[in-house]
Amino acid sequence: MKIYTYAIIDSNSGMDEPIRGLGEASVYNIPYHDIGIVVSDLDPQVQIKTKESILKHEEVVERLMDRFTVLPMRLYTVFSGKEEMLLKVKDYYEDFIENLDRVRNKAEFGIKVIWTGNIIKERISNAYKNESPAHLTQSGTKFMKEKFEKYKIDKEFEEEADRCSAIVDGFFNRLASEKKLEKLKTDNLLLSASYLVDKEKKDDFKKAFEELRSSGGDLKYLLSGPWPPYNFIILSHSGDGKVGGMDISDKAFQHKDMEGNEGRGE
Amino acid sequence: MVETDSLEIFAKEMEKVQDALPKKIEANPENAEKGLAKLVLTLIELIRKLMEKQAMRRVEAGSLTDEEIERVGETLMKLENKMKELKEIFGLKDEELNLNLGPLGDLM
Repeated sequence: MKIYTYAIIDSNSGMDEPIRGLGEASVYNIPYHDIGIVVSDLDPQVQIKTKESILKHEEVVERLMDRFTVLPMRLYTVFSGKEEMLLKVKDYYEDFIENLDRVRNKAEFGIKVIWTGNIIKERISNAYKNESPAHLTQSGTKFMKEKFEKYKIDKEFEEEADRCSAIVDGFFNRLASEKKLEKLKTDNLLLSASYLVDKEKKDDFKKAFEELRSSGGDLKYLLSGPWPPYNFIILSHSGDGKVGGMDISDKAFQHKDMEGNEGRGE
Repeated sequence: MVETDSLEIFAKEMEKVQDALPKKIEANPENAEKGLAKLVLTLIELIRKLMEKQAMRRVEAGSLTDEEIERVGETLMKLENKMKELKEIFGLKDEELNLNLGPLGDLM
């Protein structure tokens, strides 16, 4: 029977409380040296690419996170059997140990910030309007001038985004051991950041968010977490450590349409 | 746990992020030609954008003469027009030719 994997944990013992996974199957731990791979048997009738399955995957990982250090697997990581899975785990064992050490007692928090990007861009564009090259007759030069104007507008817009993002990051940077910042995924989504935070500093992180939120201005903020460290797993060969957890199986069913939302419930 | 005063606004913005990034080339027996065209045009668009950016940097640095600006401009304009034509032929929109370039961000 195929097995569905949820996470690697820093324990090779059995589950000491019953957890139900996809299709209400029992979740169990397969030991490998000093770590374990948390899995459940996958009934062929169970649809794995559904909203319910995503939520169930996340629920299982979050429950594990309360008691173990967890490296979440990417959604839909399925193996044809225990042997195939253990072969892969053997390949990645050193990586798992390193990552477990790095994320031990830490959790991931997400910060998103929306600003009035459209308005800011319009303001910058208006400042350039008077410089319009209407008098130019040569088509190549006119084309270049127009493109150059757009290039300058975009550049100024990005510099403004850099400035604002740095201010936001200043609230959280000191509390995180690692971070990943993505700016301007859309004109209005100024910042989409993930921070790896010591569990002891979790309340300080939330306090920093409150301080930021009460600092006024037009910006809108979102805090999410604590999450398993989806964005902070580094695999040295193949794999990726991308959003959504580890991908160690080249035979796993992969579903890319949900990227960015995978297992995050955001 | 999610904390925000503006959940709907964030949900809408995240939808835009999802919509802006086609995750795979939709190639099947019915639309193989379009799927392939999408892949090829995405790569051409990537190269075109890189060329355009490099040209802008050179204009900014003042390292192009007026003549060179005219010549580069004409070339880039023709490339852009040709791309527009090809997109129309294959029924592709700008946003369909986007690519996630990892740490470099999105192509468009």
